[in-house]
Formats: sequence, structure tokens, C-alpha cells
Amino acid sequence: MNLHTMKLVTIICEALIEERVVEILRQCGTHGHTAYSVRGSGSQGDRSADIVETGNVKLEVIVKPTVAEAVLERLHRELFKDYAMVAYETEVRVMRPEKF
Amino acid sequence: MDFLTAIQSNLLSPAILFFVLGIFAAVSKSDLKIPESLYTTLTIYLLIAIGFKGGVAINAAGIGVVWLPALAAMVLGAMIPLWTYPVLRKVGKFSVADAGAVAAHYGSVSAVTFIAATNFLKSINQSYESYASAFLAVMESPAIIVGVMLGKGAFGGKFSFSDAGIRHALRDAVLGKGVLLLIGSMLIGFLSGKNGMTMVEGFFVTPFQGVLALFLLEMGMVAGRRLGDLKKVGVFLLIFGLTAPLIHGTLGVLLGTWVGLSIGGTTLLGVLAASASYIAAPAAVRLSLPEANPTYSLTAALAITFPFNITVGVPLFFEIAKHLHS
Repeated sequence: MNLHTMKLVTIICEALIEERVVEILRQCGTHGHTAYSVRGSGSQGDRSADIVETGNVKLEVIVKPTVAEAVLERLHRELFKDYAMVAYETEVRVMRPEKF
Repeated sequence: MDFLTAIQSNLLSPAILFFVLGIFAAVSKSDLKIPESLYTTLTIYLLIAIGFKGGVAINAAGIGVVWLPALAAMVLGAMIPLWTYPVLRKVGKFSVADAGAVAAHYGSVSAVTFIAATNFLKSINQSYESYASAFLAVMESPAIIVGVMLGKGAFGGKFSFSDAGIRHALRDAVLGKGVLLLIGSMLIGFLSGKNGMTMVEGFFVTPFQGVLALFLLEMGMVAGRRLGDLKKVGVFLLIFGLTAPLIHGTLGVLLGTWVGLSIGGTTLLGVLAASASYIAAPAAVRLSLPEANPTYSLTAALAITFPFNITVGVPLFFEIAKHLHS
């Protein structure tokens, strides 16, 4: 089986900024993403998700390593300071690299 | 009916008692949980129900009667941040962003507080202008925009429409689900009129009280979970959260009397002015003033002002309105 190494970028952030993160993903050249509603807690307190203002969203996107770095760099520059969020990348292997 | 009887009949309505049950459930850490999707559904239901009813009422009364009190309501809402902001800055020692954020919340309005007030008026058989939901619709956004501009230091030149946060926030403030549903269903109610009302009455009017009780149970839990944050916001905000509604509510009642609303309508305008937004404003403010600490505005609006208004504020503004009309 022919598997190709790619990066999986995961972003967990305030649900309110989902659109802004997706906008950044698109501008960095990603081709799609998956989002889930999640809850939890962190350095900025509980994210109980009882109302949308306190909900979190988890976004996942598989990209080329260069794109992954560009995404993390822009999140760092534009959003990390102001919003409750974490973002990280891990290595994944996929079958159809042209899809990403 | 005196003030105490009014408070009593308000506190003993099912909706308010369910609110108290919700607070108790949250404080006692019960495992009771209302699914978030139900909360959203109930919000949509309530907004459509009051919007539609308001539209039918505008149709019956004629726009000529509605525009003046609606305009007065809108101006009052937009102006509230102009004096709350300096008080928060000077007396409360809040940062520019935090003061702007709290001012935006208090200028904007809470639909649920408004609904609880109509519920109270109904329970004591006090008639009111059903088109008052138009006031609710026009008071939501202007104050948010004014508050955000103040919080951005608009007069120091830092406010810019090209900022991504501001763009998203403006769209949220003007076309957010609250305003969209209210204005949209109001328009539908206006166009379909009395006949339309007969068609949907069974769904939007008869079960309304039950839905409101269910919704307030959830609101009680949401408010109750934030009671712990009261320690974090400090004494000033606690006092502010109680005096701001008193002052703004009285202003609203004076304005309502002046533009010629009935006792019921005057009470509703007072309640709207007294209320603080905790749905539309937090979202728009979080996007446009990310440096403001959301704990301040959300705790003040949700854990202090909202419970105060639906328990004591509503009957109080009714009494003031009654007094001014006699």
C-alpha cells in the first residue's frame, strides 16, 4: 500500500471564532476541514458549552507540512493572544495526497 | 395592588419558580442537564413567537402609532453606553475595552427579561401594547455598536471597519440570529395579520407559558453556574449590576409615559432599558473587543442584573409606571 506522510492540524478554540479560523485555513490553501462541538476547561476557565458563548469547537484539517506551519504561524500571530485556544500538528499517513 | 403583592404574584409564577429551581440545580451540582440543542430550539421558538405576535399587533395598530415609541426606545438604548462607559472607566477603574464591553451589554437588551415582563403583565391582567416587541428588536444592536466603538477607543482613532473581528461583530450585531428572527417573524406577522395568527396560534401562543418555564429552568442553571464568578468581578460591578437597571428602568418608564404608552407598554419599555444582553452582546463583543475580559460583562448581565430584573425589577417598574400614569 502506498501511503504518504502529511500533517494533521488540530485547533481547539472558542466556538465564536470558528469562522475566523476557517477563513485563515482557506487563505493558507487548505481544501476542507472537519469540525466538532466540544467542551472542557483550560487556563481561561471552564468552557461548559451551556450557551454558545462558552462552547468550544475542535477543527481538524490534513495538509502538507509547509501549509501546516503557515496555518500555525497565522493563528499565533492573529488569534492566540486574544482567545482561548490551542493548536497542534501531528503526523498522519494518507492514501491520496492530491486530495489535501 | 401594592408593590409587595406585585412582587409576590411575580415570584409565584411557574416561569420564575422554574428559574429558581434551575439556580438550585446548578448550585447543588445536580446532574440535570438541558441539551444545548434544546436551549437553541427554545430560544428560536420564543423569538419567533414574540416577533410574530408583535407583527400582528403592528398590523392592527398601524405603523403610524408604532414608529415614535420605537424610535424613542432605539435612541435610549444607543445612548445608555454613553454614560455607563465613563462611570465604568472613572468609578469602576475598568480598562477602555472592559468598560466598552460592559456598556455594550447594558445598552443592549435581554429578550427573556422582556418575555418575563409580558408574562407578569398577563398574570395580573394588565393589558399592554403587543407591538412592544418592536422596541425589543430595535434596541438590541445600536448599543452594541456604540459600546464596541467606545471600547475600541473610537475617539482615539483605533476603530477600523477593515479589522476582521469588527467585521464579523458588526454582521453579528445587525444580522445575528436574535435580530434576524425577531424582525423576520415580525414582518411575517405583519403581512399575514389576524388570519395568520389564527393559523399558528395553537403552536406559538397556547404552549408559550410552558416553553417559557422550560427555558427559564435552563436559564436558572446558566445563571447559577456563574454565581461563583461573582467573587472575581468585585464589589463595584456588583453594585453597578443592581443600580444600572434601577436608573435605566426608571428612565425607560419616564420615556414610555412621555411618548404616550399605556401602563403595560411603559412597564415593558422600562424593563427593556433596565435589561442587559447576554446573548447578542457577548458574541459580538467577544469578536470585536477580544481584549475585554468576558467574565465581567457576562457575570454582571447574567448572574446579577438578569435575576434582579425578573424577580424585583419587573414589578417595580410596573409600580413606577402605574404611579406616573395616575
